[in-house]
Amino acid sequence: MSHAAHTAAAPHAATAPPRPAALLVEFDSPGALLTAAEQVRDAGFRRWDTHSPFPVHGIDQAMGIRRTRLPWIVFVAGVVGCTAGLALQWLTNATSAADAPPGLWTIFQGYNYVISEKPALSLPAFIPVIFELTILFSALATVIGMLAMNNLPRHAHPLLAHPRFRRVTSDRFFLVIDADDPQFDPARTRDFLGQLPAAVAVETVPEDRSPTALPRGVVIAILILVALALLPPLLVARARLSKSTEPRIQIIQDMDNQERFKAQQAGPFADRRASRPTIAGTVARGDLAGDAHLLTGRVGDDWAAAFPPTLEIDLRLLHRGRERFGVYCAPCHGYGGAGDGIVAQRALRLNTEGWVQPTSMLDATVRDRPVGHIFNTITNGIRSMPPYGDQIRPEDRWAIVAYIRALQRSQNARLDDVPPEVRADLR
Amino acid sequence: MAGTAQHATERRRFERGPDRLAAGAAVVGLAGLAAGVAVGPNVGWDVFFRSYLLNYCFVLSLALGALFFVMLQHLTRAGWSVALRRVAEFVAGALPWLALLFLPLLIPVLQGRPGVYKWSSPDVVAGDPLLQAKAAWLNPAFFTVRCVVYFVVWSLLAVVFVRDSVRQDATGDVGHTRRLEWWSAPGMLLFALTVTFFSFDALMSLNPHWYSTIFGVYFFSGAVVGFFALLALLVTGVQRAGALTASVTVEHYHDLGKLMFGFVVFWAYIAFSQYMLQWYANLPEETAWYFARQNDPWWRGVSLLLLLGHFVAPFLALISRFPKRRPGLLVPAALWLLAMHWLDLYYLVTPRPLGASYVPAAPLHWTDLALFVGLGGLFLAAVVRPMGRHALLPERDPRLGEALTFENI
Repeated sequence: MSHAAHTAAAPHAATAPPRPAALLVEFDSPGALLTAAEQVRDAGFRRWDTHSPFPVHGIDQAMGIRRTRLPWIVFVAGVVGCTAGLALQWLTNATSAADAPPGLWTIFQGYNYVISEKPALSLPAFIPVIFELTILFSALATVIGMLAMNNLPRHAHPLLAHPRFRRVTSDRFFLVIDADDPQFDPARTRDFLGQLPAAVAVETVPEDRSPTALPRGVVIAILILVALALLPPLLVARARLSKSTEPRIQIIQDMDNQERFKAQQAGPFADRRASRPTIAGTVARGDLAGDAHLLTGRVGDDWAAAFPPTLEIDLRLLHRGRERFGVYCAPCHGYGGAGDGIVAQRALRLNTEGWVQPTSMLDATVRDRPVGHIFNTITNGIRSMPPYGDQIRPEDRWAIVAYIRALQRSQNARLDDVPPEVRADLR
Repeated sequence: MAGTAQHATERRRFERGPDRLAAGAAVVGLAGLAAGVAVGPNVGWDVFFRSYLLNYCFVLSLALGALFFVMLQHLTRAGWSVALRRVAEFVAGALPWLALLFLPLLIPVLQGRPGVYKWSSPDVVAGDPLLQAKAAWLNPAFFTVRCVVYFVVWSLLAVVFVRDSVRQDATGDVGHTRRLEWWSAPGMLLFALTVTFFSFDALMSLNPHWYSTIFGVYFFSGAVVGFFALLALLVTGVQRAGALTASVTVEHYHDLGKLMFGFVVFWAYIAFSQYMLQWYANLPEETAWYFARQNDPWWRGVSLLLLLGHFVAPFLALISRFPKRRPGLLVPAALWLLAMHWLDLYYLVTPRPLGASYVPAAPLHWTDLALFVGLGGLFLAAVVRPMGRHALLPERDPRLGEALTFENI
């Protein structure tokens, strides 16, 4: 295709004189360039530029260039980066669907990772990411904005082909008026430039007639690179869709495979134990037995008849209790607490030997037990029910107790418990 | 150039004025020192020495910032700053005098006074395993030796850089510039090491259990902020007195403003880096330092004032080109930053370390004021005195022309 375009252009080049792309004036000092720039500016030209081997002070005023708007672009990008950094961390870690107002907000559920006992929304920990994103966005906006405002990148320019222009990087100063300028007229503009003071030479820059299509070698190289770049995603896609008995390739171990020691096995430490004993005089976090009522369900020697005063009994706690009850208790005791959970049903059907049917929590015996007693049963287990103290936090155990109380009330409700205005519906 | 005629007629030397000003400052300074010593027995010598350390570190940090600036200009062969360099050299030239003023701080160390440096007291160390482990470094004899090394290095660097620059005024020999350019590289290395270890020894060891490897950079960043503020004030003062009226232009103030702004941000970056790591790791021996500065209402107020006054306010005030090119706005900003630099050192020195043996009656004392006047006056005298003896800019520096025609793009 490029070949055809080239041959088509050739006869045209042979007959017509080359159309000027620009007019070029050469100077041998920055002062002359400044004076010339002022005159061209005052003559009202719009599409023109100056070129020099080094920055010339005052050229901006001489050319009538307004202050760049780039700082504002960078400022906005910086603010966006700052906001993005904050939002990214807030949305991914600190949001909670449960606490969100209903509607779209409930789709935001952050990881809520607690790191070093810091709150999920923890500004000092967020600042490095916010800072880096601010810098990143500003820096990219600076570079991309600068390129865009200068119409860069540009692969070729007619000026670069002009032999005189080569000295722009050593000791010559140039002023160039583009042929696109509304005031441009090949003859009159040439006269105008010729009478500029200290002009060394005025030359026509011919239009760039070099082929514009990409060379075939570059096209082939790009195609090969694209093909190679497609290989990794193809391999990944194949791995996702096929089955294999090989162990998976673990690039990041993530502590998936760890050393494991059984009882009485020699461990890696000098004393051949597999774990470290507690340091004398220390208590592990969360193991401090301070509040006996909260942690054991006892007040003095008796079962506590009331919930611990540090706990607020509200709907939130009951919801938590229902959720935990569903996880830990319902498999045996059933969702209603009658002792008819799915495990109990199956055990009965199989007639399992030694199976002790779970107690119905709705019976008077359990109903009359103080809350501390029920709490203790959950903590330490009873008969064939295992202890749950190690799996469920004390506050959650109390939440379960509160939910059991609600179940008991609901399954033994009297007409008095129903609000008067809805009693009629029951008849 | 249009400027040459003005440059030829401008004043580049003072006559008797600086001598009179220096004598006045020295008298005020000595009176301040005397007042501090007189109040000493009432407030307690522990409080006196801490006040002395605070205000001493304030003036010392300004002189160190000046030494850094002078060496940096030679290291980078900077042209723009030549018109300002001599004033900075006068500030750095105070270092040999400051070496003398450091001597009183050796008294509490050699006395083993636990209220100032608790590692200097054998009784305290005997009951403290951590201090015993650190005793190989933190002991009075080695401390004294190290301080001698620091002050010898700084005094030599200051003398070399000021003397060669001044000699060039007479000889016009480019060799002086070459020599100082050569010396600036090893000088900068020595400077970095000595400033880091000085700040560890003099300031960080006030809380000898606590450590922060970035502390030297923190001290340095604050020192440079303070120095640029002082340089802007001194240059304005020299111009008000009728000298350098053509050589120092708005372009130089613009660059001073840029440097002030840059180092304010650098200071905040370093301060936050130190804070965030210790806050995140939450190790008791590290957080104790911040605990003392955040759990007391006074020190919490000082911390917040530093955050706002040493970073947020100057950041917003100096970010634009506008105030940097107007000395009328830059001078108040410089005064403010100088005050904030003092507050920064106050925040480093004065809070009582946890488990310290003395309890200050108030977080501010008359000694803080008296010794500020005392050491500040003597420092000012040392800076101003040479202004009457030498030219106010390096008259025959090969790059002076570049500085005089310097323009920000």
